[in-house]
Amino acid sequence: MSDGVRSDGQVHEGQQASEMKGPDERSGDRASRSWGERLVALAFTVAVLAGLALTVVYSVGGQPQLEGLFLAVALGGIGVGAVVWAQRFMPSEEVTEDRIELGSTDEEVEAFTHSFETGEESLERRSLLVKLGLGALGALGLAAVFPIRSLGPRPGRGLKDTGYAEGVRLVTVHGRPVRPDSLVPGTVLTVWPEGHEGDADSPTLLIRTGAGRLQLAQPTVDDIVAYSKLCTHTGCPVGLYQQQEQLLLCPCHQSTFDVLDGAEPIFGPAARPLPQLPIGVDDQGFFVALGEFPQPVGGGFWDRKR
Amino acid sequence: MLAARTCRVVAAGAGASLATVLAVLTGVGPAAAAEEGHDDPLGYVVDLDALDDPAVVAEGRRLYQRGCVSCHGADGVGAPSGPPLEDAGAASAHFYLTSGRMPAAVPAGAQPQRKRPAYDSEEITALVAYVASLGDGPEIPRVHPDEADVAVGGELFRQDCAACHSATGGGGAQSYGRIAPSLMESTPVQVAEAMRIGPGQMPVFGPERFSDEEVDEIVRYVQFLQEVGDPGGFALGRIGPIPEGFVAIVIGLGATLLAAFWVGKRREQSHDVEEGSA
Amino acid sequence: MSTDRDRPSSPPGRRGTPLTRRTVRWLDRRVGAAGMARKALDKVFPDHWSFLIGEIALWSFVILLLTGVYLTFFFEPSLEKVVYDGSYEGLRGLEITRAYDSALDISFEVRSGLVMRQMHHWAALVFVASTSAHLCRVFFTGAFRRPRELNWIIGVTLMILAIVNGFTGYSLLDDQLSGTGLRIAYNIAISIPLVGTWIASLFFGGEFPGPDIITRLYVIHILLVPGVLLALIGLHMGLLVRQRHTQFSGPGRTEGNVVGERVWPTYLAKGLGMFFLTSAVLAALGGLAQINPIWLYGPYEPADVSTASQPDWYMGWLDGALRIMPSWELRAFGFEVPNPFLQAVLVPTITFLLLFLWPFLEARVTKDHAEHHLLDRPRDRPVRTALGVAALAFYTVLFFAGGSDVLAVTFGIPINVLFPAFQVLLVVLPAVAGYLAYRLCKELAQRDQPGGEHHAREVAPPAPDSGESHRRDVAPDDTPERQPAAEAGGKPRR
Repeated sequence: MSDGVRSDGQVHEGQQASEMKGPDERSGDRASRSWGERLVALAFTVAVLAGLALTVVYSVGGQPQLEGLFLAVALGGIGVGAVVWAQRFMPSEEVTEDRIELGSTDEEVEAFTHSFETGEESLERRSLLVKLGLGALGALGLAAVFPIRSLGPRPGRGLKDTGYAEGVRLVTVHGRPVRPDSLVPGTVLTVWPEGHEGDADSPTLLIRTGAGRLQLAQPTVDDIVAYSKLCTHTGCPVGLYQQQEQLLLCPCHQSTFDVLDGAEPIFGPAARPLPQLPIGVDDQGFFVALGEFPQPVGGGFWDRKR
Repeated sequence: MLAARTCRVVAAGAGASLATVLAVLTGVGPAAAAEEGHDDPLGYVVDLDALDDPAVVAEGRRLYQRGCVSCHGADGVGAPSGPPLEDAGAASAHFYLTSGRMPAAVPAGAQPQRKRPAYDSEEITALVAYVASLGDGPEIPRVHPDEADVAVGGELFRQDCAACHSATGGGGAQSYGRIAPSLMESTPVQVAEAMRIGPGQMPVFGPERFSDEEVDEIVRYVQFLQEVGDPGGFALGRIGPIPEGFVAIVIGLGATLLAAFWVGKRREQSHDVEEGSA
Repeated sequence: MSTDRDRPSSPPGRRGTPLTRRTVRWLDRRVGAAGMARKALDKVFPDHWSFLIGEIALWSFVILLLTGVYLTFFFEPSLEKVVYDGSYEGLRGLEITRAYDSALDISFEVRSGLVMRQMHHWAALVFVASTSAHLCRVFFTGAFRRPRELNWIIGVTLMILAIVNGFTGYSLLDDQLSGTGLRIAYNIAISIPLVGTWIASLFFGGEFPGPDIITRLYVIHILLVPGVLLALIGLHMGLLVRQRHTQFSGPGRTEGNVVGERVWPTYLAKGLGMFFLTSAVLAALGGLAQINPIWLYGPYEPADVSTASQPDWYMGWLDGALRIMPSWELRAFGFEVPNPFLQAVLVPTITFLLLFLWPFLEARVTKDHAEHHLLDRPRDRPVRTALGVAALAFYTVLFFAGGSDVLAVTFGIPINVLFPAFQVLLVVLPAVAGYLAYRLCKELAQRDQPGGEHHAREVAPPAPDSGESHRRDVAPDDTPERQPAAEAGGKPRR
């Protein structure tokens, strides 16, 4: 597909071709030409082989690494072949083309504006009608809120409530209640309110600190504390308990809380302590909550305190 | 491929437990087998039956006086540079000695790192026997991972281990320079011991949290993580999106940019290219 | 579809065109577009390798569509519980959701499924990476200036959509990592003042985790965003064709012409080559480099978490902002603005707003409202280049801060040292990098011009770029027709 002729004879409107720069057929460099052709042939042959190999791999059961490799070689072979072909055997003349004028003439703009506003002359109460029209659109927009409203319930108490209430037992994920004496110092246990095992908003860390002094706002049992497991930053489970230093670390953004001091944040982006669950022991010796968390758990929101 | 690998693992596990049974029956302790590492896949290392032997305890005390007393004090009462060992028990001693964390090469307070054990299995047996004799700390747990359900183990692992050691067992960062170590080198016995004793920053997972059966399941899952292949190719350290992003930008974008550079190269017009790319 | 008609003088010895001619005739009698098609084929495309970066993005998108369609045949966006009984031993017998189950099946049971999944994910990462590189190219060469402001806005929109679709994509699989990401997204949503809790509730269908989230993400991921992406990419390229491509200055290249290759056949063949080469890279990655091994992460349980929970790289800067930006919370009258709002809502909002407005801001400051088709070399606009480099430095610091925990382990530096270091770097590095870039630009510009009388252009002169002297010579030739339009277009904007 020689283009030598076109560049001279077929100058298109607004274009002019400069002298030929690329095509090897003009330069007469036969050696280079045949080398190029061989390269293309080689690339395509490799692609053919890789494609066949891919079929074989697939039909004998597939193997991800071989599939990826052969696919890559097949695609790459075609790509290399196409590019070498284009670079060596397709016209690479430099063409200069005038840029078109993007803006239209004043008359055209006038004509368009005229057409666009056609029909307006006969209106006497244009402004009223326009307002009414806009009002109709607005009303429709308002009505369109209702289908959107169906997407989810009103955000109510849900964000502020968990499954805890006075007397509700703290149980493991399998529903087993927990006794204080079964926790050795240094133990951390994730518990839920009974009947809400696995709930997203109420996982609670039950930690036997083994320490004498605890600074807490809520009643608790011995040296055992219960904090919400959800970070007050973006709600990730604060799962890293550093026993020796009595720290809780959030793996998502590294907020660090002081277990002995009411889970106050001491490092990182969290601004509030983990809510502490008031706990006691029921007459059978199992942990129970003495009430709901004093603050909503997890990340903050606008009317958290309302 | 995966299935084949799994079969092999199961077979190896079964073979090992059979060897243990045979060893117990013939009166040859696991320690004898431990001489050849592969016959001790669970990582007991020590001669469990020798721990009560007064001669072994006495040998342990001699080793203790030489290598440990400076930090842990006479008879394990503790010293400024090391914690007391009276209630450490065989499990702690075994954990720290077999993982090479003790004797520590770091100053007191810093986190000792896993390294090649400094003592051979006989010496470790003696030291463990001696530390165990100091008080009544936990015994070396017996693990039976080959009988455990690996998937349930995975569930438990994600509940309480992944937060620090990562879901892939590769370990992770903690506050103030602490690191939850990778579990890729941990032996089954060490994993079980760590859960029961809570070494360093690690919390204790007593029988209230994990029954012996559950410990076996977790141990099995850690074994599984160590053995399971990466069907997707190079695993990039199994540390998630960060190396993936690195590869995407450096290799993915880099290679395609090179391609663009080559494709966009005009023959005999290198002048323009140079100028434009400045 | 060839342009046989345009080439009556094809060389002798090359035949075999009647078929083409017949096809073209047939089509043209029904569509009548041969003239237009010919014009399209003859369009001149200036070539410079950096103009192909956008093509990498385009072809990555095509691969995303192809592999994505394949994946939809097998993926089930449902939170219904099933018992896993596939071939991966580590999860067998667990109760998992259909979404996770089908993603595992794609990885282990569907032949070639894993390669497709991994290619899809790698393509997504490379798509955003090449989009960003393309944006940098356009920014630093001033290709966004009049008349291309609209296409810049479309481009920035495309980038946002690419990021959004990346996030919705990896959040679909209901593995532990994606659930953790969704939980963070939920908490970012509720942090928005006044409407946040409503937005979250409507989007998730209730309180987190929400019963409908996977289904909705699926519709967004496979229909809504790709549809808009496809339309906007069409528009992006349509405008490109209409406005012609920009070019670097050089001999014979003026504001009034385009110098380069015709689209047909060479440029198209090269473009096709780029498609295959890009796909080859993605296929190699898809087969050889494991990405997002969801079987290791396990099914999502709201109380579980794994350390090193990171988003994909293009969200890394947001994650970094969430980590190291100050933990300010505004509290007044019993209401509060929680800190994620600043970190993860305001930071990206301001970022993209600035990007959208940049062409207009720059034109206002430089008072340069003229059309530009010749590209700047970054050194010729030291202020813009310095600001761009400073911005890149800023986001790079945030990006690395997003990996603080992994960096801490890898390099043995405590997190508690890294965070303050990143906070300092976030302020200092952009300033230093910007200053150095500015100095470097001046140095290079000075070296270019021994005469030194052209130094006035440092502050972006109002006139169309004055490059080398030969460009000046050419300019008068086309000014008579161009100038009025330029002025007419310039006025209303002021």
